[in-house]
Amino acid sequence: MLNFDWLHSVSIGMAKGIIISLYVLIGVAVWFLKREYIVLDVESPRPWHNLKWWTTGVLTLIIAIYLYF
Amino acid sequence: MLSGIDYAIVIAYLLGVLLLGIYFRKFVQTSRDYFLGGRLMPFWAIGMSLVVSDIGAVDFVGAAGQAYRYGVVVANFDWIGCVPAMILAAFVFVPYYWRAGVYTIPEYLGRRYNDYVRAAEALIWIVFQAFGLGIIFWASAILLNTLMGWPKGVSIIITATITGLYTVFGGLAAVVMTDVVQMIIMYIGAAAILIMGLISVGGWNGLVDKVLAMGPEYQNHFELILPADTPTPYPWTGILFGLTFVLANAYWIGNQTIVQRCLGAKNEWHAKASMLWGAFLKLFIPVLVMFPGLIAVVIHPGLENGDEAVPRMIRDMLPPGLTGLLFAAFFAGLMSSVDSSLNSTATLWTKDIYERYIRRGASDRHYLIMGRLVTLIILILGVLTAPLSEKFPGMYVYVQTLLSFFQGPTLAILLFGMFWSRTTPAGGLTGLIGGIALSAFLYWKKAVFFTIEDPFLYISWWSFVGACIITVTVSLFTQPKAREELYGLVFRLEERDVALQAKLRNRLDRNN
Repeated sequence: MLNFDWLHSVSIGMAKGIIISLYVLIGVAVWFLKREYIVLDVESPRPWHNLKWWTTGVLTLIIAIYLYF
Repeated sequence: MLSGIDYAIVIAYLLGVLLLGIYFRKFVQTSRDYFLGGRLMPFWAIGMSLVVSDIGAVDFVGAAGQAYRYGVVVANFDWIGCVPAMILAAFVFVPYYWRAGVYTIPEYLGRRYNDYVRAAEALIWIVFQAFGLGIIFWASAILLNTLMGWPKGVSIIITATITGLYTVFGGLAAVVMTDVVQMIIMYIGAAAILIMGLISVGGWNGLVDKVLAMGPEYQNHFELILPADTPTPYPWTGILFGLTFVLANAYWIGNQTIVQRCLGAKNEWHAKASMLWGAFLKLFIPVLVMFPGLIAVVIHPGLENGDEAVPRMIRDMLPPGLTGLLFAAFFAGLMSSVDSSLNSTATLWTKDIYERYIRRGASDRHYLIMGRLVTLIILILGVLTAPLSEKFPGMYVYVQTLLSFFQGPTLAILLFGMFWSRTTPAGGLTGLIGGIALSAFLYWKKAVFFTIEDPFLYISWWSFVGACIITVTVSLFTQPKAREELYGLVFRLEERDVALQAKLRNRLDRNN
């Protein structure tokens, strides 16, 4: 139980799928945040202040890495 | 050994960093300037500082050594072990810490729970940082002694003097801005050895082909995900549950050394952006720091100790000049770890212990002087205790293991504190203590409960689960704080209450 024996039958492909799904889930969750919350404190927000795009960029890169390896 | 040009590069780097750090002395007038850089720092500098503070000189050699032995699976610590946690920190924890105007994580926990939780967390961190500093000094001195032939005492004194001078006078701003230079030096130095190494093995494809052709024990060297029943310490279940869910989050949202930089951001947007910028830069760390270990599998096969991989590559491959640059990168890694440790420990002592329990209501100047004095004392203690590591060779591992006992329970009370307003002060305190006790018990009985050689990832997960259960159970039977006291400390609590009140008013108006 403490060694996660119940997950030993999960294939590597499935495990990778779970991890990539986690990244996708985080990316989607960030897009649900209100824009006002994201650009709080910015006097005149420009598109590059939208941190949702920053997050999407970082997650895209890491998903590509996990797909490659 | 280094040539003349290499020495020139290393000396120029050390002097440059010293002058840059001391320059920031003129911006320090108050304790807020000293501990939080005056809350004026931009996201790009904080992001770079976050990354370089996470990598020490010893990691350069140790991480490559782990990659030599286990392959790319080790990169999980910088990829899945950082990026999701940094995003969570960016959008949830860091904005709330920043708005609360706190100096330390224990201060947040003190406001959210009570002074017992604050004092416990602060003391734990102070003790470990103080011990850790001596170990960092000693481990790095051994490394520089092996690589450069420098006497251990010389490395320690040089690093302590330079780092101490700019940290004592310039505070967090000096730490962060010197970290920016250190990160650039570190990336250039690491890129030099990576590029030279890749050229010598025939590029990326040549590296993969040659490693895989070396035999069945190397077949998993390019697999990021290893089976749950792997004999290595990195099964995917441990990576996901222990590293991703617990250790990574505990580190990026609960470690004072890390979070303090974000608290010094010039506004909330910069605080959030610094974490995301840091996450982007983090993606390159495995490529720069660990991949040389993979290259060494081809160039220097059959090494018994993987930690010899990078030193051998430096000796055999790098021309004069580039060798000096890489050694400057080693110093950068060492100095960034030392300055971060000094500054965060001084902040914890001054704000959470001294100002709270020993001398309340003193002038701001008094606390500024205390901060500088404590930085100096910790530095001297670090230098004096460094040789102890030789007498107790397993000390580094013990300190790291003990520190891991606190990660799961700390994360549990941070998560419940931030997301569940019903969590009570008693729940937080018992969750913390109970979780630590569970960690210690699982570690003591690890041969009974676990099958892999080093189950630290699993222990972190189960101590987190245990702390969660204790926190919830005790909270349900004890008195919570008034909701108004928790505004600004619990995620969207005030916003939810305002929305609920508006809804109730609308309903009443309609009924009337």
